[in-house]
Amino acid sequence: MNNTFGIVYSNPSYILISIGIFFILFIPLITISEFLFFEPFLVFSIYPETTLSFSLIVTLSIFSSFAVSLNIYRVKLIKQTKKIGSSIIGTVIGASAGACSCGPIAFSVIATFGTAGSIASSFLTVYEIPIRLISIGILILVIFVTIKSLSRECKVKF
Amino acid sequence: MVDAKKLGVAGAAIVLVTLVAVFATSYMSDFETARNPSPNTADESQAVELKHAPVLGSKTATVTIVEVGDYQCHMCKLWFEETRPLIIENYIETGKANLVFVDMPFLGSDSTPASEATYCAGDQGKYWEYHSMLFTYQEEIDDGWASANRLQAFAFNLGLDIEQFDKCMRTDDHRAQVNSNMQMSKKQFGANSTPTFVIVNTSGESQKIIGAHPYSTFEKIIDSLL
Repeated sequence: MNNTFGIVYSNPSYILISIGIFFILFIPLITISEFLFFEPFLVFSIYPETTLSFSLIVTLSIFSSFAVSLNIYRVKLIKQTKKIGSSIIGTVIGASAGACSCGPIAFSVIATFGTAGSIASSFLTVYEIPIRLISIGILILVIFVTIKSLSRECKVKF
Repeated sequence: MVDAKKLGVAGAAIVLVTLVAVFATSYMSDFETARNPSPNTADESQAVELKHAPVLGSKTATVTIVEVGDYQCHMCKLWFEETRPLIIENYIETGKANLVFVDMPFLGSDSTPASEATYCAGDQGKYWEYHSMLFTYQEEIDDGWASANRLQAFAFNLGLDIEQFDKCMRTDDHRAQVNSNMQMSKKQFGANSTPTFVIVNTSGESQKIIGAHPYSTFEKIIDSLL
């Protein structure tokens, strides 16, 4: 497993891809979850009650960055896209959790879809932590399967 | 036959793009309204309407903090627990600022009755006590924590005249006020999320804050408006 990581991330472009994906996810997620504010000036704050939520966002962003970059490597190596979908699904599920809460996204969803939007919004808010945990689980599974597959493919190729 | 996995990938990509688009449009409009507050933000008509709103603190304070909120919003509860006590201690109790709450009940079906109940409690002189009770005992959206029975129980715990409170709730005495606040939140304060704050001073200068910001943000803005 370490060997596979070493092979993939010995190429600096995959490190850059991982860092890029991490920030592409992390910044919007901490903004919609109201940890980071850009107006009226840049403010970052974590209330004690939201520490777990913040930790899950960090974890989700890290795992997503690994899952997607490993799959990009895998696609380039063996020209198969079958696991990149799972990593995107895992990321989307995790990103959508808590995105609604009381923010403008919830307002748009409720204003557009009425009662159905309200139910969906409250579901995503109430089950924010379990949904994020499920998505982290999906991403861990994707990373594990991808690494196993890469180890197998690498043995064949090299 | 279409490859199901390719279809799955395409579907996931579409969902991701949609989420990003919704996020971007919602927040861009937020930033825009924060940069260019509605020209009516501190106009006379709004001041007149707010005259009838319950005020926490001195009515003659230099700065008024208008909070637009929903009693079912958990970020409003966080702000209520973490930031509001410091504002009360440093600005409201010292007479520098006062606080007005404007209802924007959009999150669930129990939001509007909860707002109405605060005004029914206000009829008996306990608006802010009831307001605090709702945020203290807030649970998940529409899970029954703000049902008619619970609202009555909160009134009972505050020692309100239950018969008068029930009559007020039954006859929707304050529905028009809650609806008017909802309209005011959107049109005059440009709020599309809760909590949203508009901090205005007696000279008419104002600053909008979107979200449950920490105390430091309020401290900087209030001090600049004093």
